[in-house]
Amino acid sequence: MGRFIARRLVQAVPTLFGVLLLTFLLSRLSPSDPVQLMLYGNTEVTSEDREQLRHALGLDQPLPIQFVQWLWQLAHLDFGNSIYYHRPALDLILERIPNSLQISLLALVVTVGIGIPLGVIAALRRGRPEDHAIRIFSVLGHAIPEFWLGLLFVLTFAVQNRWFPIGSMNAVGVDCTLCFDRVWHLVGPVLVISIAGIANLPRILRTEVLEVISQDYVRTARSKGLKENAVVAVHVLRNALIPVVTSFGTILLVFFSGSLIIERVFNWPGLGRLTFEAAVSKDFPVVQGAIIIASVLLILSYILRDIAYAWVDPRIKVR
Amino acid sequence: MATSATVQRVAVGAPEYRRASAGLWSDAAWRLRHDPTTLLALFVVLLFVVIALGADFLAANFFHRAFSQQDILSSYEKPNTDEAWRWLGTDELGRSQAVRLLYGARVSLFVGGFGALTAVVIGLTAGVTAGYFRGWWDDVVVWLVTTLNSIPRLYLLLIVGVLWRLEPLPFALLLGSLGWLGICNYARGQSIALREREYILAARTVGCSPVRLMVRHLAPNILPLIIVLAMIEIGQLILAESAISFIGFGIQPPTPSWGNMLTNASQYLGKAPYLIVPPGLAVLITVLCLYLIGDGLRDALDPRLRGSVGPRPRAA
Repeated sequence: MGRFIARRLVQAVPTLFGVLLLTFLLSRLSPSDPVQLMLYGNTEVTSEDREQLRHALGLDQPLPIQFVQWLWQLAHLDFGNSIYYHRPALDLILERIPNSLQISLLALVVTVGIGIPLGVIAALRRGRPEDHAIRIFSVLGHAIPEFWLGLLFVLTFAVQNRWFPIGSMNAVGVDCTLCFDRVWHLVGPVLVISIAGIANLPRILRTEVLEVISQDYVRTARSKGLKENAVVAVHVLRNALIPVVTSFGTILLVFFSGSLIIERVFNWPGLGRLTFEAAVSKDFPVVQGAIIIASVLLILSYILRDIAYAWVDPRIKVR
Repeated sequence: MATSATVQRVAVGAPEYRRASAGLWSDAAWRLRHDPTTLLALFVVLLFVVIALGADFLAANFFHRAFSQQDILSSYEKPNTDEAWRWLGTDELGRSQAVRLLYGARVSLFVGGFGALTAVVIGLTAGVTAGYFRGWWDDVVVWLVTTLNSIPRLYLLLIVGVLWRLEPLPFALLLGSLGWLGICNYARGQSIALREREYILAARTVGCSPVRLMVRHLAPNILPLIIVLAMIEIGQLILAESAISFIGFGIQPPTPSWGNMLTNASQYLGKAPYLIVPPGLAVLITVLCLYLIGDGLRDALDPRLRGSVGPRPRAA
């Protein structure tokens, strides 16, 4: 297992390099001049000042050297200063991550909690109304724009009926993490962002359950007199869930991308909203840092997913 | 229990009508003609395409409104049946929502369709060549796919949106050049499997060049499911377009797109709640129909694959 984890970590290095290279190239090959972006809105700058800043930032060096210098800075956790907040970009980003994780992790719990039962029901009641209903829900869940669902939620449950708050993390004057008020504010974003996963999971699980249920060992379990519930819980579900673990990668990707939209709709002060606001105010170091951090988090969750996969199914080896 | 019931029904039921096979495409067409859901979905999408293409004509001759035409006196009008252009109500500037929806369809379908085409071209080329040649080129393609899969797509689009101002055509190209990963993975996997088959070996033995081999022998065997994946991709790109336009970094006003119409609508939730329904519903229906077409085409092209390839959760 230790070797597996080590190899998987080594495999992540070229990916991380690719992410950094792409982010770097995007910023340097763009028509917008970083100096221009840094001095955005500043009118009392002479062209000499520009040149000086350009030299100070190393922007007059050839691209490969700039890239190495930039990597060197990143290695020292220097993501540059936010142009808007005048604070290190990394600090701003790290402050927001716990807020985003609250939504993502809860959404994962909700997805698994609702998705797995739905998938099992769809498989066990194949061809019956329950199966069709779950399939229709699943297709709808794939096709509905997440942010629109969020808007509808806000419109119905927050604007027209005051059942849930319109947005943000806490009511005005309240500041707590583990209290009813926070849970109240979490319902909307978590439900909306879970939809994609809840739509996806039953579809995969249904196929797997149907596959496993026709195996010999399931027949054996039944014929030795085991109750149907026990057969499903012990013999079918545990084996059917193994391939489902891989789909968590896609679900996590959806959560990460979705956070940008959902945090905007629900005004949730997480990484997504920080990135969005930084993009609006052309705060380039923060946008760049957020992309890198979001990608690193995503790569780490992929690794965790693969470790979990190898752990539940010892037959898996790193290719 | 369910299994034995099915078996019994097949055994007792009337013998299934079997049609002699007449080749992949004509078999598929035959199956499609007997699939009302897919036909309906196809009809709806074609209808949207026709409406989008005829937006100028409809706006001028039926609605008598241009999409940017303002009418402050009739702002915030609820949907009503007085005149055609008021059917879906008006926004804060008194612009006709019905007409703007038409033009939004034009942007969404163009971005989705052209983007998916780009994705197919890139994905098929990269996937087939990587799967056929293997070696260092395969490593490069796999590395690219893994890398792009590790960056949340919306964040990437956001950074591009900050640096460039996107017109529909570059936007479609950009979305396509980020959306080819699934198609590439599939094409690569299939090519790796197919290149070991006897007919490929036979072709190579008689001196078939690699290009001809890939174009004439590999690609056509992969194409059917690529078409299915392309349909799903159009839907996903329409969703991505609406999302990125919604947060203000995609299609810019005054050009209406379903996404930026919703940005506008979200600012008037209290005053004009009816504004948010039509654009979102339009996206939902279009994407739903595209997924249904994808599903139907998959079953028609290869019934054995029923349930295997489907819309994945969108990585918007």
